[in-house]
Amino acid sequence: MKRHRGYRHSHKLADMDFYACHSGLRDWNGCYKVGSALWILLLCLVLDNLWVSIFVIVTMGALNRKGNRIEIRAYLRLLRIPIFFLATGCAVLAFEISKEPAGEWSVALYQCYLYADAERLWQAAKLFFRAMGAVSAMYFMALSTPAWELASVLQKIHVPKVFTELMHMIYRFIFILAKVRKTMKMAACSRMGDVDFKTSCRTFGQIGGNLLIVSLKKANTYYDAMESRGYEGEMPFWEQEKPVRMWQILALAAYTMALAALWFWRKP
Amino acid sequence: MREEILQAQRLSYTYQLGSPALSEVSLSVARGEKIAVMGANGAGKSTFFLCLNGVLEPETGEIYYQGTLAKRRTLRRHVGFVFQDADNQIIASTVEAEVAFGPMNLKLPRSEIRERVEEALEYMDLQAYRQRPPHYLSGGEKKRVSIADIIAMEPEIILFDEPSSALDPLSAEMLEQVLEDLSKEGKTLLISTHDVDFAYRWAERVVVFDHGKILADGKTQDIFGQEQVLRQAHLKKPQMLKVYEVLLERGAIQAGSRPRRAEELADCMGGVSG
Repeated sequence: MKRHRGYRHSHKLADMDFYACHSGLRDWNGCYKVGSALWILLLCLVLDNLWVSIFVIVTMGALNRKGNRIEIRAYLRLLRIPIFFLATGCAVLAFEISKEPAGEWSVALYQCYLYADAERLWQAAKLFFRAMGAVSAMYFMALSTPAWELASVLQKIHVPKVFTELMHMIYRFIFILAKVRKTMKMAACSRMGDVDFKTSCRTFGQIGGNLLIVSLKKANTYYDAMESRGYEGEMPFWEQEKPVRMWQILALAAYTMALAALWFWRKP
Repeated sequence: MREEILQAQRLSYTYQLGSPALSEVSLSVARGEKIAVMGANGAGKSTFFLCLNGVLEPETGEIYYQGTLAKRRTLRRHVGFVFQDADNQIIASTVEAEVAFGPMNLKLPRSEIRERVEEALEYMDLQAYRQRPPHYLSGGEKKRVSIADIIAMEPEIILFDEPSSALDPLSAEMLEQVLEDLSKEGKTLLISTHDVDFAYRWAERVVVFDHGKILADGKTQDIFGQEQVLRQAHLKKPQMLKVYEVLLERGAIQAGSRPRRAEELADCMGGVSG
C-alpha cells in the first residue's frame, strides 16, 4: 500500500486515478491518448501474432513506467487481477477432460484424465499474450487519462451531454462520498461498532442509510452552489487546450509500422 | 455618503417546515462596505445570503441592485457567494475547470475566461495546482479554490459564509489578507461569522440576526458596546474590548473611542503612563 499525502490508497480505482492525475503524459491531448490506445488494442487483436502481442505488452509497460511514472511493482500489482483472470481462462482452454487417456500429456484424476497437447498449449499461450497486449493498451489509457478527460473525449465524439455531465459529477461525488463513508466508519468503529460480526453488519447497514440521507442533503447544497454561480441547466466544463503534436502522430505511425513489420517477419 | 449598491426590502422566507427563517428583513448596503453578519446558528444568516445571491426567491420583499429591482439572474451575476464548506461548492474535476465554471456560465468569450481564470488563480496563489483534482487538495487549498471561483466571476459584492471555520491559523491569516485586498479593490464584502474577535477587528459595520430578524445594525464599536444585544444574540464580547473595559474600570486608561487594535489600546494607555 502506498501513502500519498497521508491518504492511504488501498483501493485499485483510487490508485489508478492517482496515477492518471499525476501522469507525465498529463499534457498530451486526451483524444490522442484514447485514440492511440484503442488503435494499438485493435492492432494487437487483429494481427493475432505472439510476437506482436509481446511487443505491445513490453512497450506499453515501458510507456506506463516512463510516461505515466508508475513503479514496476505498482504496475504489476495493478495487472494482478487481469493476469489472474486470463491465466484461469486460458488454463481452461489448454486442458481438456476425457474418460480415456488422450493428448500428449495426461494426468489421471479419479475416473477421468486431464490432458493437453502442444497445439492446445500453444493456442492458449497465444491467446493469453494477445489478451494481455490488449489489457496493456487499455491500462495505458486508464493510467494516462483521468476520468474527466475521458468524459471530455466522449463529449467530442458526440456522446449525449447527459452522460458526460453525469460522468463529471459522479467522478467528483465518488471521492466525496468515499470520504464521508470513511469518516462514518471510523466514528462507528471508535464506538465499538465492529465488535462482532452481527454488530458490524448492523453498522454497515446504518452507514449505508446515513450515506443516502447525506447525499440527498449534499445534492441540495450542491444545486444551490451551482445556481449561485449561474448554472442554468448546462455544465460546459473548461478544458485546457492540448494540441496534438506532430512528433506524436509520427511516433504512432512508426509504432504501427513496427508492429506491421514484426507481423510480416514472424508471419506463420 | 457612499453610493448604495444593494438594498433588501422586507425579505421573508420560510423553509418547508417550521418557523420563518427570515421575516421582514430590510438592509441597505453601500459600495465598498465591510459588514460582519452575526447571530446564532439558525438565526437566518445563510438564508439571507442565499436570497441576496439570487439562489432563493424570497416569499415576500424585493432586492434592489444599484437602485433598480433585481432579478435573480442579475443578483447571481453581481453578487458572489463563497459557501461555508468548500467541498459543497467545488464541482469540476480540476482546479482550473472549477474556477472557470462561473465565467463559463456567464457565457464569456473563451479568451476572457482564460484571462479571468489566470488572474483568479494568481490572486489566490493557486497556479501550481491548476491541473489537480479537488480531492487531492487540503482544506485550506480547497478554501482558496472556492474563493478563486468567485473572484473569477468578478462580482461587485461578495458574501462569505463562515469563511474561517475549519481553517488552520495560517490559512485563516491568508484569508484575512485576501479580504483586506478585496476590500482595497473596492469590493463590497458581507461576512457571516461567529468569530467576534475577527468581526471586531475587521468589520466597519455589524448586523446582528436573531430568529430571522435583524436585531441590531450599526458601527462595529457601537454594536459590541450594547450588552443587551450581545446577550440576546448569544455573542461574546471581543477580547480587545474586554481588556479595554477592565483597564478602564481600574482607571489604568482614559475613556476614548473603543480600540480595535492593540496599537489603539496602547494609544489609550499612552495618556496615563506618559
